[in-house]
Formats: sequence, structure tokens, C-alpha cells
Amino acid sequence: MENNLDQIHQQALNELEGAESIREIEDISIRYLGRKGVLTRFLRNISHLPADQRPMAGKKANELKKILDQAFRQASEKHQTQDAAGEQGIDVSLPGRCVTCGAMHPISLINEQICGIFSGLGFDIAEGREVESDYYNFEALNFPKDHPARDMQDTFFISDDTVLRTHTSPQQIRTMEKQAPPVRIILPGKVYRCDSDLTHTPMFHQVEGLLVDENISFGDLKGILTTFVHQMFDEQTSLRFRPSFFPFTEPSAEVDILCIMCRGRGCRVCSHTGWLEILGSGMVHPALYENVGYDAERYTGFAFGIGVERIAMLKYGIDDIRRFFENDMRFLAQF
Amino acid sequence: MKVSLSWLEDYVDIKMDPAQLADALTMAGLEVEAVADRYGYLQSVLVGRIEAVDSHPNADKLKVCRVHIPNGQLTVVCGAPNVKAGMLAPLALAGTVLPDGSVLEKSVIRGQASEAMLCSDVELGLGTDPGGIMELEESLTPGDRLADALGLYDTVFELDLTPNRPDCLSVIGIAREIAAIQKTPLRYPDFSLEDKDNRIGKLASVTIEAPDHCPRYAARLVDAVKVKSSPFWLQDRLLSVGLRPINNIVDITNFVLMETGQPLHAFDFDRLAENRIVVRTARSGEKFFTLDQKERTLDADMLMICDGQKPVAVGGVMGGLNSEIETGTSRVLIESAYFSPVSIRKTSKKLGVSTEASHRFERGVDPEGTIRAVNRAARLTAELAGGTLVEGLIDEYPKPFKPAQVSVSVQRTRQLLGIELDPGHIKNLLESIEFEVDNIIADGDDHRLEVTAPTFRVDISIPEDLMEEVARLAGYNNIPITFPAMPAEARPPSRQLEVRRRLRQLMTGFGFSEVITYSFVHRLSSERLGLAATDPRRSQIPIVNPLAEDQAVMRTSLIPGLLETMRYNLTRQVKTLKIFEVGKIFIPRANQALPQEPEVLAVLWTGMRYEASWHGAQIPCDFFDIKGVAEGLLGALKIGGLRFTRMDDDACDYTRAGYCAWIMAGDSTVGRVGEIHPRIRDNFELKQSAYIFELELPHLIPLIPAAVSFKPIPKFPAIYRDITIIVDRAVEAQSILEAVKNMGETLVETVHLFAVFEGDPVAAGKKSISFRLTYRSGAKTLVDDDVNQLHKLITAKLLQAFNAGLPE
Ligand SMILES: [Zn+2]
Repeated sequence: MENNLDQIHQQALNELEGAESIREIEDISIRYLGRKGVLTRFLRNISHLPADQRPMAGKKANELKKILDQAFRQASEKHQTQDAAGEQGIDVSLPGRCVTCGAMHPISLINEQICGIFSGLGFDIAEGREVESDYYNFEALNFPKDHPARDMQDTFFISDDTVLRTHTSPQQIRTMEKQAPPVRIILPGKVYRCDSDLTHTPMFHQVEGLLVDENISFGDLKGILTTFVHQMFDEQTSLRFRPSFFPFTEPSAEVDILCIMCRGRGCRVCSHTGWLEILGSGMVHPALYENVGYDAERYTGFAFGIGVERIAMLKYGIDDIRRFFENDMRFLAQF
Repeated sequence: MKVSLSWLEDYVDIKMDPAQLADALTMAGLEVEAVADRYGYLQSVLVGRIEAVDSHPNADKLKVCRVHIPNGQLTVVCGAPNVKAGMLAPLALAGTVLPDGSVLEKSVIRGQASEAMLCSDVELGLGTDPGGIMELEESLTPGDRLADALGLYDTVFELDLTPNRPDCLSVIGIAREIAAIQKTPLRYPDFSLEDKDNRIGKLASVTIEAPDHCPRYAARLVDAVKVKSSPFWLQDRLLSVGLRPINNIVDITNFVLMETGQPLHAFDFDRLAENRIVVRTARSGEKFFTLDQKERTLDADMLMICDGQKPVAVGGVMGGLNSEIETGTSRVLIESAYFSPVSIRKTSKKLGVSTEASHRFERGVDPEGTIRAVNRAARLTAELAGGTLVEGLIDEYPKPFKPAQVSVSVQRTRQLLGIELDPGHIKNLLESIEFEVDNIIADGDDHRLEVTAPTFRVDISIPEDLMEEVARLAGYNNIPITFPAMPAEARPPSRQLEVRRRLRQLMTGFGFSEVITYSFVHRLSSERLGLAATDPRRSQIPIVNPLAEDQAVMRTSLIPGLLETMRYNLTRQVKTLKIFEVGKIFIPRANQALPQEPEVLAVLWTGMRYEASWHGAQIPCDFFDIKGVAEGLLGALKIGGLRFTRMDDDACDYTRAGYCAWIMAGDSTVGRVGEIHPRIRDNFELKQSAYIFELELPHLIPLIPAAVSFKPIPKFPAIYRDITIIVDRAVEAQSILEAVKNMGETLVETVHLFAVFEGDPVAAGKKSISFRLTYRSGAKTLVDDDVNQLHKLITAKLLQAFNAGLPE
């Protein structure tokens, strides 16, 4: 009986010696220790032995089972480290399984950047409707009916008294009607003008701003807009304020920055003037205070309007505004 | 508005070079858009020496000339009678653009090649002699540029003026600003005209029947004029600002218009019935031929200048054919009026005519400038057209104009502008542009300036108008930069803005790119979308004046925009598209002028599930891809009670029946998901499947939990048990999962579907559904015995409820 077990032991070790792969070791292991394995069968047959031999045989067989199990495991581990050392591994240069992010629209990106700058300066964000009454879009903003100032904004009409807003300024009036000073808001949103060429699309985006409080001066307007330009472009960007006209501000100013393409030497982008017009601004016209019931003696303020497409074109070097609304994936994927 | 440097110099000495001048005007609020060399067109016109003149083989009146230039000789065919060998004349090379707009090219004239052109002074815009080619001084050097040889230098400035500054729609107006900038004097021409008697009163009369439209009407009469070409200096002035000379009478009115900004009109006095002028509004429906030979239909709001019987001009807009100056005209009545800006603007808009005159009248001319202008024009007419001035002036002025008197506080000016200014400084600035400071009154710490605005400054009425002038003249760039007191932080953004930002982030994270399409779409877009006639989205708001047919109505859905974007990209070989848009739709409301403007998120996926790669074959995306995105998005927003319910076939419109669902959160519908209906795809000329989902933000936002509250992580392990049952194919998987949940067993934590199978060995018309139940207790570690009984019970209930079987 014992001989038999010794035989099994020796034979197993011999076979293990000859094994050349983990696979073979596993096969040997199954042959001896598996459900139908040699040792398993031996244990099952113990009942056929004489009763006095059974305990010893069972003990010895179980011991052998442990020993072999250990031996197989060690051999297997040894092979594993050897295999790893000899194996080539994978071609890590093959592309990974694709995970691609989509792109935000460049207008959204610039819009967020503009809003972020003004939020940081303490302005709240307000939004308004896009189909507006003539009153809020024009009259309350001091554009009388039948006044040439209305020609400054080519308007889409829904009816005689309803328009697609030509600027986000109507929300200035709506906000002031609801809120007493101080008012510090910016108004991002879509606006519409019937105009279409290389630099105009019938829909575009604006961020307007309004600040009304006691003792607000034109110097403050210059301060806030200078900070904006420096954050949006860079600290070195020079800017100039020049007189202009908007019905809802007085004094009014256009803000030009030194051309970021040619640094003022003159190029195609700046029409060889060295300057780029980037926003309109001015001190709030007293007529607006009257329309919303503010005390024009006590409060002063300023307003400004930024064209988001204009800034995006400059920042990204885009030369045709219509690109923004063609939604060509080859364009959008770049942002 | 164009103005030439040489003309400006008639009124002011200019100390700056053209570039400096342009910059100074721009910084004073008169934006110079372009600065051009007036004689730029003479670049390719040289002084040519005519070496030889031969007769033309095929034409008696033409000559063939050999003209010497530095690089050789050119052959030129010329028909001028004065051409002769040895003379110097202007030679325009091929490519020259002449003042009349024609472009010179090499040509063959009656069989003879002609390489350039010998020019007359008329052709070059340099004179009035049409008789032959221009004879140049012997002393000039052949081959030199003509402009250099003749010393022709001038600069033309093109100004983009804001509508508040009609006073600068004139050469004198701009000269006045330059004088103020330079602090140098302005020279006015002589506008005076002394009348010894009032003979005109016996010959003509003016009656104003519509003083609201025409507050002032002045006129003078010039007798025995000869209508002919203007002298060269006058033509030259007009040419320098881009106006074409016509005849001396018309040229004089145009000259005075450009010089003073006052539009004038010259009538042939003998064609005015009863020799009188009546200013009245038109009769509705009245017809009238304007100077441009078009018949106009008038309405009762339009102001007409009439004679004793009929209209002769549309007041302030355009004259009539019936009183036009003709070659034989002998007596000229010159009109100089002040018309109401609103009246002129309405008429000009209604007739669709904008002229130099209407442009100025609608912005407001100087009501006191009428007399100066008519004097200037009458005197020039007498001088240049050989006429005799009829003594006397007609000046009907039923509504006298009051100059604006404004009082402005010095302190308030300082405060608004943020610059230190004393009363004397402000006074000097205002006086430099002809404002009169009548008084400076001390008022406590403050001073008030009482100011009378010049009558040409029709834009001045309130103190801020004066402050703007002060700021402009002091120089915006001299105002120091300051900062307002600001709060430490802004208020948090609105919920809508916050959610929109989050949607953008999530969708781009899921691999979708944002698009922005126009808010206006094609009139037929909701029809193309297959919306039912009763659908509120069928009533789109039309735009009265759209730019294009495909931008004619406000959108009521974002889907047409996405489908158009898909088509645009497919035709450009981009076949897989994952895009989204967040934007408003516009739904009209009954009895309200302004529509509802809810914001919508719309998402589209077409093409492949993954990009082509070595990892496996490409699989087209399907319903469950887009649904997965919707689930992922709503899950990230922590929206509870999410369900997708089958849409009734008649509600499917643009989505394919059987392949679309409502997205529900609890009882509220927040959107839909599905495949675009093949018929709708055809309407948009699309040849591949597309899957969409849409969410309405107003419905979605209230469902997003404002705050998240933490639930403890389970302390005890779970036990998992699987069930597979076989049900009718029509049974919705969701109903089985919901049935388990509705049993209300507290130990059942989750039900997760993991396999659906149809086909052998499952019987036809049936499907097997497998799902895993997670059992967990909050109080103890469960053992098999705790679960076995319950699991059997749940299985049994399901078998009964769904008439289901177990797999073999
Ligand atoms: Zn530049």
C-alpha cells in the first residue's frame, strides 16, 4: 500500500520535472489531484483495504495530496516568472479604445470667458427674451419712432410693435424696472439684425453690461473696460476711447484696441488703421432713468456692449463670421 | 460723407498731415473710415511726347501717333483735331480708370492697334475743354507722372458720421471741427446780400399751408441766366467729393449743399404755374413724376412743393420732372427751406428714396442757415450763369426756431466725466465750436454755465449734451482711469444658466459637439417635420422682412436645425455626427404680442457607434445608443423616477413609430427620444438613420434636486439571485422590473436586467428576460434561508402576473 503511494509520489515528481509549460503542469495536477485523478481514486478505494490499514493509508494519502499540491503550485509559479521574462508583451503603440470629448461651440467658449471676467468684477448675469416689443428694444432706450438713429440697427420685424431684439439692452430696462440701484449686470444673449456679409450674420451674440450707482463716472467706465480688455487679451493691449453716438448713452464711446495682429503697424485685419473696434459704451442717458423711474440727479452709470463673434474672430483668427453658424464639424472640432 | 483737403483749406488752415488729421477727426467723434489720394487714378497717366503723326489707313478723321515714353514708343490712335508732332500731351496707359468709371484697354481701332490713349482734360477730370487732347507745357519732362508734373495733390477723407451730427454733413461743418481741434480761426465765405428793394415780391409768392411739415421756406429769383457747363473750379470741387457736374445751375445748388449742408432746389421759374409756390401735403393717391423719371404715388402725409396748379417737387426729397432746369431755362427760383425731420424721414422711407437732401433734412439742418445758403447760391448764379439777381428775399417763417438754451453744472460735469475742469476751461471748449456761454453763475460750491447752442447743433437740448461736447473736446483719452466701488462678490447665476452650463459640459463629455443654428428657419420646416396641423409648433411666427426664404419664421423646434446641420456635414464627407444644441424655441401665445420662449436641449447621433479602429468592426449607432446618452445625462442630473414610455403611433410625427419614447420623470414628460422617421429624413434629403432626443428645460429644471443629501453606505453584504422568465414578445421589460419594485419587498434593493433573448430554444412570439435581484437588509447579514422563500414568492408572482413560463 505504502509502496503504491511512494510510487505515485515518484511518478508525479518525474512527470513534473518534464513539464515545460504552465499548461502541462495543470494537466499533471488534474491527472493526480483532479476528481478522477490517481490520488483521488486511491482515496476512494481505501474502503477496500483491510480495516486496520485504512486510517494509516488515509493519513498518508492526504499528506501526499498536500505535498503534491504544494509542488505543483511552486512549479507553476516558477514557470510564470520565466514566461513573463521571455514574453514579448503587447504593441503599446496601437491606438487605445477611442474616448473622444465633444467640443463646445467657440461662441459659447468666448461667451463664458467674457461672463467669467465680469462675474469676477462683481457683475450679475441676467438674460432676457429674444422677441421683444418696440418699446423695450427702442423707445425706452431713447430711440424715438421715425428717428434716423433707428437706421443704426437694421431690424427684423414681427409686426409694427414687435421685433427680434437688435441688442440685449431691452433687458437693461426690464432689470431697472424691477430693481432699485445699485444695478450691476451683464446681459449675454442672441441678437438679430438683417445684415449678412463677411462680417455680419443676421443672428449674432452680445454681452452687454450696465452699472448704475451713486457717483459713477466716465473714468469708472474706462477702468472697468480696460480691465476687461486686459483680461480678455493681455495686459499689454493698449486701448483708446473715442467719441461716438448711441441713443441710450451720453457721452458715448467706441473702444478700440491696438491691432493684436500687427501691433498697430497696420494690416488687413485692422483695415490698415492699426486699431480694432471691439465694443461700444457710454454713460447711461438720463432719458432711460426717467423711463424706469430712477432719480437721475442721484444716480449715474454706464453701459457697454460687446460683440462675442467679433472677439472670437480676433482670438481664434477666424476671417469669416458665417463659419460660426455653418456648423461644419471640421470647424467645430478645433475648439 | 466725403470731403477733400483742398476744399477744407478754403475755410481753415490745416497744420496737420492727412494721417494726423484723420486721426484727430476720429478722436473728436467724426470717424474717418478711409483716406484716399484724390489723384490716385492718374498713377498710370504720363507726360507723353508725340514723335510722329501719320494718317490712319482706314479712317480720314483718325491719326496714328507714335508717342515717346522712357521705355520706348507706343502706337496710339487719336481723333483729336489738335494732335501734332512734337507736342506734349497726357498719355493714359492701359489699365487706367478714368473719372467717368471707364477702364482703358489696349484695342484695335478700325484695323489699327492702339496701345494707350491721349486724353483731353475733360476725360481726366482736369478741365472743361472737350475740343481736343490736353496740350501740356513744353517745359515738362516726357515720361513723368502727370500728377507730379502738374503738382496735383489732394486727399479725400471719407467720414462715417453718427446720426446726431448733421452739422458735419458739410465742408464748413468739418472745417469748424478742425479749427476747434487746432485752435485756429474758421473763415466763412461771404453770405451777405444787400437788397435795395423787394422786386421779387411783385413776381413771386410762397404760401405755406403745412407749417408743421415746413416751418421755414426761403427763395430768391435770378433772371436771364444761361444754362451751360460750370467753370472748372466748380466742377473740380464737386468731383473732389464724388459728385458729377451737370450744369451750372444744378452744380451751384450742389456746391452750396456740400459747402453749408443746406439742401437747395432750383426751379425753372417760367414753368411754375401762376409763378407761385404752395407748400402743402399731397392728396392721397396723387401721382407725380420725380426727377429720376419714376412715377410716384403719394399719400396724405407727404409734403409737396406745388405751383399755382400742381405739385412740382416732393419737398426735401426730390424735384419733379415738370419744373426741371433745362438748357433754355432763363429764370431760376432757388428754394432754401427747413423741413421737419420726421416728415421727411417718413416720406423718404415710404417712397424708398434717399437723397443727399433727404439724408440731411431727416437729421436736421440749420434752421437759420437757409438764408445764408440761398444768398450764396443766388450770388453764384448771378456770377457764373450771367444772370441778374432779382432784388428781394422771400422768407416765409411761420414757426420761428428757438435756439437751445441749456444750463450746466460744473460740478456735475466733473462728477460724470471724472475729470477736473474749471468753469473757464469749459467755457473755452464750448466757445471753440461756436456755443455761446451767456453767464457763469456761482451756486454754492458749484458754478452753472448758461449756454446757448448754435442753431446748426440740433442735437443739443440737455446738460449731458454739453458734457459730451466738453468730454469730446477735452479728449476722452485725457480722462483718468478710475474704478467704481464693487461688491465683494456677484450673486450666483440663475438656475437656468447653471443648468445650461452643466448640460454643455455633460454633453461634450459624452462626445457630442455643440452647434448653434439660426433661430429662424424655413417657412415649411414644421411641415417637413411632419407636425400635425393641430400641433402648437405648427404656428410659427413669421418675420416681416426676412433675408432669405430659409430664414423666414421663428423656429418651434431645434430638430430642423440639427437635420440641416447633418445634411451639411454629410455632403462634406463627415458621416458620423454627434451634435447637440441648447437654444430657444418660439411658441406664440393667444392674445399676447410676445411669444413663449422655452429653452430646449436637442441631441442628434447619426453614423457609427465608435470611430473606425482596429478593435473591432464598426457598428452603426441605434436607438439604445441615444437612449443611453439620455439616461446618462438625466442620471448625472440626479433626476429621479425616470421612465421611457412608448409613444402612441399618432403622436410620433417626426420619429419612427415603434422606435421612439416619451422621457418621463415621475408623472411629467420632459422630452422624447427616438429614431427620425424615414419619411422625415427624406424631407430633409438625408439618406442615413439618425437618432435624437430632446429635453425641454422648463420641465426639466424643477426636477433637478437643488441639493444632494448623503445616504449611508450599506453596512451588510447583499445576496444576489437571478430570475429568467419567458413572456410574450409584446411585454415591456420595464413593466416586469416595475412589477417587482411595486411588490414593496423591503429586502429587494435593486432589480437589474441583464439579458433578453428571442429565438430557439425560446418559442416563437416569446422572449426570455433575465434579471438579477439584489437582496439586502439594513439590520443584519442575510443568509440563504432569509432569501430563498422570498425569491420563490417573487418568481411565482411574476409568472402569474405576466402569464410567463420558466426556461426548460
Ligand atoms: Zn492690424
